[in-house]
Amino acid sequence: MKRRSMLLLGAGAAGALVVGWGVLPPRSRQGRADTLPGVDGEVGLNGWIKITADGKVLLAMHRSEMGQGVHTALAMLVAEELDVSLAKVRLVQAGRDTLYGNVAGFVAALPLHPGDMEPGHETRGVKAGRWIVSKFARELGINMTGGSSSVADAWDVLRLAGATARTQLLGAASLQWKLPLAELVVADGVISHPSGPTGHYGEFAKAAAVTPASTIAVKEAKDWKLIGKPVPRIDLVAKTNGSAGFGIDVRLPGMVYAVVRHCPMLGGSFGRIDSDAAMKLPGVERVVRLGPYAGSTDGVAVVGRSSWHAKQGAQALDIEWRAPPAGVLDSRQIAAALEATARQAAATQGGFAFHAAGDVQAASAAAARRIEAVYHAPYLAHAAMEPINCTAQVKDGKVEVWAPTQLPGMALALAARTAGVSEDAVTLHVTYLGGGFGRRLDIDFVGQAVRIALETNGRPVQLLWPREEDITHDFYRPAGAAVMQASIDAQGAVTSLAITSAGDAVTPRWMERGLPALAGPVDLPDKTASEGLFDLPYGIANQRIAHAATHSGVPVGFWRSVGHSHNAFFSECFIDELAFETQKDPVAFRLSLLADMPRHAAVLKLAADKSGWGKPLPAGRARGVALHESFGSIVAEVVEVSLADGRPVVHRVVCAADVGTVVNPAIVAQQMESAVIFGLSAALYGRIDIVGGVVQQTNFPNHPVLKLADAPRVIETHLIASSNPPGGVGEPGTPPIAPAVANALFVLTGKRVRGLPLVV
Amino acid sequence: MDLSVNGQTRTVADAAVDPSMPLLWVLRDVLNLTGTKFGCGVAACGACTVHLDGQAVRSCVTPLASAVGKPVRTIEALGTAEQPHALQKAWIAHQVPQCGYCQSGVLMAAAGLLAKNRDPSDADIDAAITNICRCGTYPRIREAIKTAAKALRGGDTGASPRAAAAA
Repeated sequence: MKRRSMLLLGAGAAGALVVGWGVLPPRSRQGRADTLPGVDGEVGLNGWIKITADGKVLLAMHRSEMGQGVHTALAMLVAEELDVSLAKVRLVQAGRDTLYGNVAGFVAALPLHPGDMEPGHETRGVKAGRWIVSKFARELGINMTGGSSSVADAWDVLRLAGATARTQLLGAASLQWKLPLAELVVADGVISHPSGPTGHYGEFAKAAAVTPASTIAVKEAKDWKLIGKPVPRIDLVAKTNGSAGFGIDVRLPGMVYAVVRHCPMLGGSFGRIDSDAAMKLPGVERVVRLGPYAGSTDGVAVVGRSSWHAKQGAQALDIEWRAPPAGVLDSRQIAAALEATARQAAATQGGFAFHAAGDVQAASAAAARRIEAVYHAPYLAHAAMEPINCTAQVKDGKVEVWAPTQLPGMALALAARTAGVSEDAVTLHVTYLGGGFGRRLDIDFVGQAVRIALETNGRPVQLLWPREEDITHDFYRPAGAAVMQASIDAQGAVTSLAITSAGDAVTPRWMERGLPALAGPVDLPDKTASEGLFDLPYGIANQRIAHAATHSGVPVGFWRSVGHSHNAFFSECFIDELAFETQKDPVAFRLSLLADMPRHAAVLKLAADKSGWGKPLPAGRARGVALHESFGSIVAEVVEVSLADGRPVVHRVVCAADVGTVVNPAIVAQQMESAVIFGLSAALYGRIDIVGGVVQQTNFPNHPVLKLADAPRVIETHLIASSNPPGGVGEPGTPPIAPAVANALFVLTGKRVRGLPLVV
Repeated sequence: MDLSVNGQTRTVADAAVDPSMPLLWVLRDVLNLTGTKFGCGVAACGACTVHLDGQAVRSCVTPLASAVGKPVRTIEALGTAEQPHALQKAWIAHQVPQCGYCQSGVLMAAAGLLAKNRDPSDADIDAAITNICRCGTYPRIREAIKTAAKALRGGDTGASPRAAAAA
């Protein structure tokens, strides 16, 4: 016992030396051998890894696969350290332990400025802030897939888990064979010694579980066999033959189906509901009033033999609608109010200043020229291809839930509260997600499914939202407005930048819904409202970047790249305006402001180089550029655009990116393409209009998104080689696309479009 | 009511369905063939695409009554594990899917195109693939269709004999 403790302490010290300053949270997230219970001869080695009797590696998968390739990327990290092929790694659902919580995603909520957090040169304040938040996030242990944080969060944790397991397995073989551990080699999970002995991991797993690891060292980059390689994704066979199990595909014996209908008015409720006609329809069996989720819009569900029968029933309900007592919402009025708020705050130095440097007013007073522009962005829906759904069964005091969710722990807690049982009585299965984009960071549908399951006599029920409910009752990307002001001196240099934006803050609204215990009576400043504005890399001496938080009453949520999604449009279009106002080339102008930010400059140069920036284009085509950092990654995009019948056509997109260490370049390229096309749908078509409290867009015919014929034929991705820890990949490609296209349109038309979607 | 699905006769209890019930929901909720997806319900997104009598159709607006007596082929019978369809192979080679939800419908639309046209131009692909993919896999879909078409022209079978019989 004593020896073991000492060895573990030694292991800790070695780990600390290897992994460095950030070791404390990763090491506290290893779990014990019994965190992952083994069945059928499986042996748990820590909270992440079990070994099967035949030598396969089972990885506790805590993150949700919604297209971003996270299952493949995380499996690669443990396969690398364990020296097994990816084919030997199987995923099992992670449990409820807080070690599966997301630390990196919450640390990213700190409003830090890029100048203070250059990797390897972080200021003391940045280090201290990150340490405190990481401790807090570790305690909270919220399992969240979002914020492009999964690989960054798992980078140290999973490699350490893999390296520890490998050392234990080798230690067990070393003891059994009485041969020095250092002389053992591993090939695809088979341990051998040059003198002859050989055996796979499964043969040593039991002994390994009680063999403390001696010296643990994660591999050096030069020894990587998987990390950095374009390894094929592990989920694609199932995604090409119809067998991939999404939430909507759960089928259980005796299952019934439910379809929801909400009050069309956001925040509205129901009076009388006449269900006689619905109940007379064949295959319809009951009507369940759901109540509003976290103070939002009231809903009712109809249960039937199939989703179609339930939908017929839902449509046949005769409902008396009630407008919200606070009055009905109108997006045009909100847009006008946002602009007025931003103008007022700009005039009075109001709002919360997320970044301030120098003296903007003095620079403005001394300026030769002052440039001002006002930008706008609309509400946006997510419209993931898999409509909102969830399956639940409440039987004998137990609850079982099958959910396509980005937030399994909070979903489980909501299921328990809804059913009035303890969390121990709930089992939650995370299915594949048919797209998330942030919509599935809300868990309203999980509560609804359990609520209905309470009334289906122990039978499982699958709740489905028709597409119309999805588009009209989303948690929308907030609308925004920004007043952009710059000063230019007599030599044509930009001396000040003031940005004053207005819009609803997403995080406090989301906290009220999902974590009311942590939501205070007063909203704290929400970094996501100003991200992409306050954290610009440009060396402009005098800056004041502020946000005035509004409270429109429209349900708002996280949408792929969150604040960056519209703020990058504001900032990168305005930077382009300044380039043209000072008669400089847009790339050269940006580079002149990036003298202190070499990583940003390198990304921009790479994009310019690969796109042929400055070289002639066919008549009628123009290039536009944008550079933006988000989620720890820097992306520059150069687009080639023309106009066809007055509509922008994007022919080619060249992405250059510094995403830190690249785990899988093929997935990074895939995500850049994805982010570009998702952002292009929003840039060209995306808008949600609310009239009389009712969202006007309902389904794809009146909520168009990009289709194959309109998609760029070419989207190239060029990556900067980096040894920094991995940054985000799923979102950072989205912010630059709208401003890049808008900047190209300016070249084509000579007219600045300062609102989204882009209408020429 | 008898349906011919993937080469098998499937009997659907009259009491369980209605002749106007869309084929999509019969496949998904009655026959538990969940590879075919619901996306919009108004034939706008193509996630529900199946082959009916060899033609790619949007099953969310195809009444059950109009499918009776005609062969229905779904993603589950596009190929087999041993002998995937040339499109399925190309989909893996080009690493097309991301979330994967729309891909059943895209694959069935693409199979419908290649059944008629073994050398589709970009314009042919534009016209045939009007499916919606929110992950933005379009550029890879285009290239994968061209790769599969080339393989088919080179003699690769579009599907296993079993899957072909199903059609």
